[in-house]
Amino acid sequence: MKKTIGSKWSLLMVLCLSFTMTLSACGSGSKAGPTTEEPKTPTTTNTTPTDDAGSPLDKALKGEYKGKKVTMFGPFVDADQKKFEASIKDFEEKTGIDIQYEGSKEFEATINIRVDGGSAPDIADFPQPGLLASIAKTGKVVDLTKVLDQDKLKKNYNQSWLDMSTMDGKDGKIMAGIWNRSNVKSLVWYPKKQFEDAGYKVPQTWDEMMALTEQIAKDGDPAWTIGIESGAATGWPATDWVENIMLRTTTPENYDKWVKGDLPFTSPEVKHAVEVMSKIWMNKDYVYGGNKSIVTTAFGDAPKPMFENPPKAWFNLQGNFITSFFPATAKVDQDYDWFYLPPIDSQYGKPVLVAGDIYAMFNDRPEVRAVMDFFTTGESIKSWVQSGGVIAPMNDASLDWYTSESDKRMAKLVQDATTLRFDGSDLMPGKVGAGTFWKGMTDYVSGTATLDKALEYIQSGWKN
Amino acid sequence: MVGKKKKKGSKLVVNIVLGVICFIWLLPTLGLLISSFRPATDILQSGWWKVLPHQEWKAGDTIHLSKDVDLRKPIDVEGKTYSDDQLKNGVMADGSRLIWENRRARDISVQEQGWVTSTKLTTENYLNVITGKEYTIKNADGSETVEKGTGLSQAFWNTLTIAVPATVIPVLIASFAAYAFAWLRFPGRKTLFVLIIAMLVIPIQVALIPVLKDYTSLGLNGSYLGIWLAHTAFGLPLVTYFMYNFISQLPKDLFESAFIDGASHFNIFSKLILPLSVPALASIGIFQFLWVWNDYLVSLIFIGNQPNVQVMSMKIADLVGSRGNDWHLLTSAAFISMLMPLAIFFLLQKYFVRGLMGGSVKG
Repeated sequence: MKKTIGSKWSLLMVLCLSFTMTLSACGSGSKAGPTTEEPKTPTTTNTTPTDDAGSPLDKALKGEYKGKKVTMFGPFVDADQKKFEASIKDFEEKTGIDIQYEGSKEFEATINIRVDGGSAPDIADFPQPGLLASIAKTGKVVDLTKVLDQDKLKKNYNQSWLDMSTMDGKDGKIMAGIWNRSNVKSLVWYPKKQFEDAGYKVPQTWDEMMALTEQIAKDGDPAWTIGIESGAATGWPATDWVENIMLRTTTPENYDKWVKGDLPFTSPEVKHAVEVMSKIWMNKDYVYGGNKSIVTTAFGDAPKPMFENPPKAWFNLQGNFITSFFPATAKVDQDYDWFYLPPIDSQYGKPVLVAGDIYAMFNDRPEVRAVMDFFTTGESIKSWVQSGGVIAPMNDASLDWYTSESDKRMAKLVQDATTLRFDGSDLMPGKVGAGTFWKGMTDYVSGTATLDKALEYIQSGWKN
Repeated sequence: MVGKKKKKGSKLVVNIVLGVICFIWLLPTLGLLISSFRPATDILQSGWWKVLPHQEWKAGDTIHLSKDVDLRKPIDVEGKTYSDDQLKNGVMADGSRLIWENRRARDISVQEQGWVTSTKLTTENYLNVITGKEYTIKNADGSETVEKGTGLSQAFWNTLTIAVPATVIPVLIASFAAYAFAWLRFPGRKTLFVLIIAMLVIPIQVALIPVLKDYTSLGLNGSYLGIWLAHTAFGLPLVTYFMYNFISQLPKDLFESAFIDGASHFNIFSKLILPLSVPALASIGIFQFLWVWNDYLVSLIFIGNQPNVQVMSMKIADLVGSRGNDWHLLTSAAFISMLMPLAIFFLLQKYFVRGLMGGSVKG
């Protein structure tokens, strides 16, 4: 009896010893880590294509990369992950490439650590190009100009999309990624059926919209329902408003200058845009719950009053993803629909504000090239488009794929836009676009800061 | 006699105070429990306490006003005038409350107070969390397919696979180390001990990227072995310190007599120290287990989100959806993830308090 206990303990002892040894091996490794040269990531080793017999995608479809694995990391989880997996299933079956997608709610925080730690995924999905731009500067992103067929890309994307994917690399400009999904942010959602029953008409100009807002207020409801609460990101829906109005009250060149930081927030153009916005936001007859509730209402809860019977509010400006917050029983095209946020000044045409996901490549292997090539085709997102909620930025994505009239009109809106601009706050450096811009707008709306003070505070984000 | 009475009285006061503290302490958990059984729409609309019987305004008669009433001027209701704001918030008139029922149609509701309980309860939140949510995906032809997501069960086993070795390994290593520091005399003993204690103040965040780099080159990323080692390393300083405190307090005579009888260090450790330090082992085991079970950061960095290794805390974060649209599921998920720590605590609780004292009281 005693002997068996003894042998058990010695066994444990051996086990522990082996663990401590592995541990100490790790420990010494980590000490050596910072002093040694930066380990060469597979990124820098450039395997040039062996022959021009066909694009990587063609080769993959012939089954050349059967059994290979491609890791992918992105911010979407849950239902979106299911839709994504459904859209790549066909490709995986045809080529035998296994795309292992890993979704994390903490994507923004984790991707930097992974890239720095040398365990970057093969492909990463960035919802904010600003974040990719900062990683591209370190030189760890593969330059796609050498990887993908440029002529094919030019045919399949509007030039503005390609311009937006060109970023500063370690030495010179690189093509840091390709656009795979987009969403439209110039949409005003409204409860269609009741809207028509009440005899209202969709406004075509800003003045018509303001007149309708006043009309609805007289009839007894606040027209708008606005919420900007979003946890640590509180304030971001306000930035969409400012960007939309900027595009409608000043030139696209000024907008670009503003996004780059050359046109300060304290300039008359930006101030004017916020003032136009305030005419709705700061009027307690126009906003559901009064302007005080804007800051405390979650952006996802904001549309809820539109679906009460009778509706307690009528308009909600938000990107097309907001439909996932609508009640499951509400039907698109029947119960709700959207109209384009009307132009303010006709000389600026019909600008459209978009956002989207850009896919960047970190490891250059033939099968990864094939998958990237696949993601530039409309086919890669077809089934997601069909199930609703996203707009394909590629030209070869047919309008027939959209199963709802609403999505189809959205895709057309993007194609017909006189000016297409990306969500400015996503392009600005994080300190401004995801920092002072959010906070400054929240302070202004909640009344803790005057407009001038708030704009000065937002501008201060550029300094440090 | 008098003294005894006084003692009894003060005991009562102590008990009441403790009871109140316990109640306040438990209240958020109770709220969470009730919320977890409420339908999602109810959670959004009202607080969990509305489940309890409470007084509420109930709709009674309705007063119809003319459609042309201007809402921005004083509004005339049955001889009295009110402002729009008053009617929005509700205004008292003859023991009942006037409030807009339908402002657009100019309907005012006359409300009376009454007792209400809203007892709409559901187990849907738990079903969604345990068996997985159902996703409806529209096909090209307009038909819909329902796909079932994964529930918590896989993540539960993953977490258990991580938590048990990540508790046993550091506690074992630390007990050996603590014995050596307490009873063996070897050069550099104090320096080494101080070094280990100094590790307590180093935040684990500074080690993440260097360790990740090593893990990448060793191929340990996303493997169970990798995360066991990570948790072991991050937990060791505290566990060693705790075990040292306990083992160094054991009576010296015990070891001397054992030595005289010819026992080796290993024998003393396995036959004397381990049985004597069960309370300390149990309490530090609970600590370490809870830390590993609830951990999010270390798992996020070293093991990632692949379904075959994903831990509970990360799975739960994913359940709310990309944009947080299903946050009501957090209520039931939190309770399910709480079950295991609770079970461990109740199993080992008799050691827990003894162990806590063991580290602090001398002699």
